[in-house]
Amino acid sequence: MELTIGVDVGGSKIAAGVVDEDGRVLDQVRNETPVASAEAVEDGILTAVKDLRGRHDVTAVGVAVPGFVDEHRSRVRFTPNLPMRDRPIRESVSSRIGLPVVVENDANAAAWGEFRFGGGRGTEDMVLITVGTGLGGGIVTGGRLLRGAWGSAAELGHVRVVPDGDPCGCGKRGCWEQYASGSALGRIGRRVAHAEPEKYAWLVEAAGGHPEAISGRMVSAAARQGNLLAVELIAELGQWLGAGIADVADVLDPAVVVIGGGMSEVGDLLLEPARKAFHQHLSAGAHRPHLSIVGAELGNDAGLIGAGDLARTR
Amino acid sequence: MTVPPDREPDAGAGRGPAAGIRRGQVVGIDIGGTKVAAGVVDGAGRVLDRELRSTPGRDPAGVRQTVVEVVTALRARHDVLAVGIGAAGIVDPDGGRVLFSPHLAWRDEPLRDETERALGVPVVVDNDANAAAWAEWRFGAARGRSHVVCVNLGTGIGGGMVADGTVRRGRWGLAGEFGHMIAVPDGRSCECGNRGCLEQYASGNVLGRRARELAGAGRPAAARLLELAGGDAAAITGRTVTAAAADGDPLAVELFADVGHWLGIGLANLAAALDPEVLVVGGGVCDAGELLLGPARESFRVTLPGRGFRPEPPIVRAELGPEAGLVGAADLARSAVPVVPG
Repeated sequence: MELTIGVDVGGSKIAAGVVDEDGRVLDQVRNETPVASAEAVEDGILTAVKDLRGRHDVTAVGVAVPGFVDEHRSRVRFTPNLPMRDRPIRESVSSRIGLPVVVENDANAAAWGEFRFGGGRGTEDMVLITVGTGLGGGIVTGGRLLRGAWGSAAELGHVRVVPDGDPCGCGKRGCWEQYASGSALGRIGRRVAHAEPEKYAWLVEAAGGHPEAISGRMVSAAARQGNLLAVELIAELGQWLGAGIADVADVLDPAVVVIGGGMSEVGDLLLEPARKAFHQHLSAGAHRPHLSIVGAELGNDAGLIGAGDLARTR
Repeated sequence: MTVPPDREPDAGAGRGPAAGIRRGQVVGIDIGGTKVAAGVVDGAGRVLDRELRSTPGRDPAGVRQTVVEVVTALRARHDVLAVGIGAAGIVDPDGGRVLFSPHLAWRDEPLRDETERALGVPVVVDNDANAAAWAEWRFGAARGRSHVVCVNLGTGIGGGMVADGTVRRGRWGLAGEFGHMIAVPDGRSCECGNRGCLEQYASGNVLGRRARELAGAGRPAAARLLELAGGDAAAITGRTVTAAAADGDPLAVELFADVGHWLGIGLANLAAALDPEVLVVGGGVCDAGELLLGPARESFRVTLPGRGFRPEPPIVRAELGPEAGLVGAADLARSAVPVVPG
């Protein structure tokens, strides 16, 4: 069986794994991401690859990075959280390890992983939405990854959902990720704690008595322990998520939308309100089949599994 | 689907077409809410002959009969071997069925099978906006581009996308319904049952409706529009606004700027989601040219995320005009059924 290495380069961790043809991860390493320079990041990738290669016979390497990757799956145009600008990372990594290398945007790689081996199995048209600190996406149409003309497709988190809405880190306003992400949940938490301090005293307490330190993670932790007020706050997030998925249905008409990312760990607490809002908002909903909204199955490994598989089918 | 090569007859070479390929013509038909337009289309996307009928009301059998009529009329003059239909509705392309149409009475209509039975030639059915997008990619403003998004501003907003030589239809043929993306949460109500749909802010209908509202309310700024409509506010249409804008009427120019503004936002969202190489805008509203596209480019620039870190697609006018749908439908049929012009 042909083996490849998938590498998921994150802002803080580099996760690499040996991936087989069935999407199983046979061996895995995790290191801190060296962020001093672009060369340091590449060294970090090489260290992880060499480590795994010492133990396995592999044919190719797929590298998933959090940023814009060009249409040739070769250069990283821009990453918001790593020091890489217009960097020919395929060339520099490939020449140093002597194996074919494919570079892909991390959300695209994760979408491919879920499509091949996870929540999107058995369909030709699916969209992955990763709800973490921000909101990311990957699109498969007709059984193929939709990369776009310049590799920048599926920047779903920056689709504008509210005119002149909340300011986004991208410099624009009203982006979807300002309403449906872990950071949005944190902001919702801070808002309600400010408006009704007694009702949400438990949340301020979870933040060590500092309402400005309330994060989405604190809200979801409380929700998982059965706190009904926290469950309501997640439902607010789910409504924005579901309404946006109705837009995704109008543009792409997928059979399945897979929800991944850190926030998806709360499962149906997020997915049920999202499904309800989706059915409410879907245009001409009575006259068309409805897509399914399901949780991701590959967890944090989706990116490296997808990258490994894309390297195989390069 | 592979990219169909331009198949030209082997003129005077003394050889027939390859096995399984027949010489003959392909007819494209665009079935809209008001008109059924049919044409014989050659391999270069030229319309060689035409038939036009009114769409017969809200009656599926009548529409079917009209399709048979136009093809029969064209058959009297051409050897027709295949028919492509672009239909204004939700089309299941595999089954050739129209699941739903907002302007016609189709409800899960087996349009392909019924038409094939009546005509005795292969029929391909697709959504009209998909057919138009295909035509613009094959013969129009998006020739040679890898990823194409087409937006058609008419009664509402139709749309289609072609990526790597394939119309991307989604699972149930519903991809490209760009007009129903939400532009404004809880905004203007839409016929689809939702609120705030883009087509309530950026379409030909909106242009006419806003002009009628302003003229009907007796706004002095609407005097020119009222005059062009013979003094009857209710008679103002998108076309009236286009005519007034062409004369430099400030209100008409403003109305176009507003529609263009919302169009640009919708296009920026599509660029963020789909990263097309070109954005093609079609429909009668585009006759206003830069009065519409200028403001659209402006708000596109303001809305597109990641500017400066990515190439940006140009926003261009469609080239094939109102016949894009029938040209595309014919060409889709040509690529599905091996036929060479002759």
